Amino acid sequence: MKSTKTLGLLAALMMSGASLANAQTALEGGQEADMVLLPKFLGILVFDQANEGAQEAHAELGNPGELLFVGPTPENSVAGQIEIMTTAATQGQGAVMLSNNAGDQIAPSAVAAQEAGTRVVTWDSPIPGGEGEDVFVAQVDFGSIGTVMADMAHSILGGEGQMAVLSATPDAANQNAWIASMQEALKGDKYANIELVDIVYGDDQAEVSYNRALSLVDQYPDLGVIMSPTTVGIQASAKAMQDEGLCDQVKVSGLGLPSEMVSYTMNGCAPEFALWDFRDLGYLTYYTAYGLATGQLTGDIGESFSAGRMGDFAIEEDPGRPGSKRILMGPFTVYTSENVEAAAQ
Amino acid sequence: MLRILDKLNPQALRILALLLVVVAVLVFFSLVVPNYLNGRLFNRISSSVAIMALLATAQTLVIITRNIDLSIGSTIGFVAFATGSLITNNPDLGPVILVAYAMGLGAMFGAINGALVAFAKVPSIIVTLGTLALFRSALVEYSDSKSISTANLPEWLVSFPNTVLWQWGQMQFRAAFVAAVLVVILVHIALTRLRAARKLYAIGSNPEAAEMAGINTRKTVFVAFVLAGALAGLGGFMFLARFGTITVVAGLGLELKSVAASVVGGVNIFGGSGTVIGALLGAVLVDLIDTSLVRWQLVSEFWREAVLGVLILLSVATDALLMRRLMAARQAREHRKAEAKIAQELASTNRGGAE
Repeated sequence: MKSTKTLGLLAALMMSGASLANAQTALEGGQEADMVLLPKFLGILVFDQANEGAQEAHAELGNPGELLFVGPTPENSVAGQIEIMTTAATQGQGAVMLSNNAGDQIAPSAVAAQEAGTRVVTWDSPIPGGEGEDVFVAQVDFGSIGTVMADMAHSILGGEGQMAVLSATPDAANQNAWIASMQEALKGDKYANIELVDIVYGDDQAEVSYNRALSLVDQYPDLGVIMSPTTVGIQASAKAMQDEGLCDQVKVSGLGLPSEMVSYTMNGCAPEFALWDFRDLGYLTYYTAYGLATGQLTGDIGESFSAGRMGDFAIEEDPGRPGSKRILMGPFTVYTSENVEAAAQ
Repeated sequence: MLRILDKLNPQALRILALLLVVVAVLVFFSLVVPNYLNGRLFNRISSSVAIMALLATAQTLVIITRNIDLSIGSTIGFVAFATGSLITNNPDLGPVILVAYAMGLGAMFGAINGALVAFAKVPSIIVTLGTLALFRSALVEYSDSKSISTANLPEWLVSFPNTVLWQWGQMQFRAAFVAAVLVVILVHIALTRLRAARKLYAIGSNPEAAEMAGINTRKTVFVAFVLAGALAGLGGFMFLARFGTITVVAGLGLELKSVAASVVGGVNIFGGSGTVIGALLGAVLVDLIDTSLVRWQLVSEFWREAVLGVLILLSVATDALLMRRLMAARQAREHRKAEAKIAQELASTNRGGAE
């Protein structure tokens, strides 16, 4: 806590007398801070895209320090993330940018990292309790993801029918939050005739997701749509429906990458899906973490700064997690046969 | 009926017992899951068992020699990714080259395992536990955090597994399943008919005796691992064709499923006995239980693994119990027959003595 205050004071001194509290901070490049970008695990395209965005920002800001892209292997995600967090603290890294897959289990090591002077910025998936986290860079408003998913289901089902959710892992904080917000949205009158029949988990593995999608169809003969808020799950579900010739009966929707989903959108298996830009998310996360690590940002609510090509952002309280802070990126794009081909290029 | 049972050898009896367990599982789930028994169920199980059948066969080859291959899941993942990457970059390559590449790569991984086990004499469980992590890490490194996407694969590859070869009612016999069953049958014939293949059993039953009998145990164990690797490589090719999307998590945990399928299929974990037909049935049983559990409302997502474990234990126990009963009954009958024969002979000698 003490070090945070000192850093804040330093930052205030550096910005010199002219600037006012809560004014736009233009981040100054060229300062040295070693950074670690820590995804849930390695080997999924979206995390790679986030890294591209972070590398772009790293080059743009001319940080003489190092930007490391390190993640655990998939089977060791939880333990691996905690280990990397601990190592980053002992190495005295300036900031760790974390897409959390370890729930609140990572909090003790994140707190330890903060005490060692490492700033912890989460992105994509936060630490649910907020402990050990400086700020969460939210891709989109978690509440609105629920509404978007409910709306896509509504439009695919024509307002009436059964839907099921195929998620990633049962521990994934972001997916769980989105599903909860969708369940909340579904209570609205507009969705009165849409029934959420089941929530299953494909563990972000193509083969597990594929089999789960098929068993959903077997279990619920009247199922109209499978909603999958994960890029692995949505693609596996769409392929399963296509392979079994079920696309007329069961549609697939959720969060997917245009380049992976384009054929399924064009042939009608997945008429609508949504996503945000992971490059932008990595870029904004880097700017935030850099500002904090170099002491140019304090991380207090109300503080705002400009993040290069993406414009201005402010730190606010996270409505989904009282007491925690977030930076809202937004917006996301809904892809249909109209715009998916252009986006897939 | 009992006469027929007497004529069957123990392995055939075991397969019969397994079939009974499969039927019991089918009956049980048809009672608790509505709309369960239909052609669709057959299509589901046959499609997904195609890959596991190859892996269980690979695992069986190694287990028969009193070894184990825990790196199979990582091998299949790496091969699927590398093969996908090859065809993505060279879309004009034909099926033969691609399958050969997949099997060759798998065989290479098998050779690494085999060399360490057979020549460096490191226990296979330790070697393959190491290579399990090693091959997976190699994949993470090789993949450069990219993934293989269905969109970049040629049409023939993606449509191959689901091509319907012939149809009977709702039941479809698809290319991947038929190919896998053919491979299993081929390996089965080789194991039962080929002299060289019998060496695997000899080594598994008694390594010292096999050595004394002039069998080159090192070479044979090495070859078993290479063959298992090649089969796993073929499994990797099928995995790529079926799922299309290959990330670094591909095939995670399949090594334990392949061991489960083999053991449930009656392959002795201490080596020396077991058939690949049994392993195929074991794969069917494990997959059947897994698929059916998902549809059983009573079991929540979080308990499924536990229930699957219990059911596997139960089916193995039932199988063992059935086997023991059948064997005991057979022995008892043979004993009685022998007694009757002795009594007869005694009677005749007595008669002879009396004359």
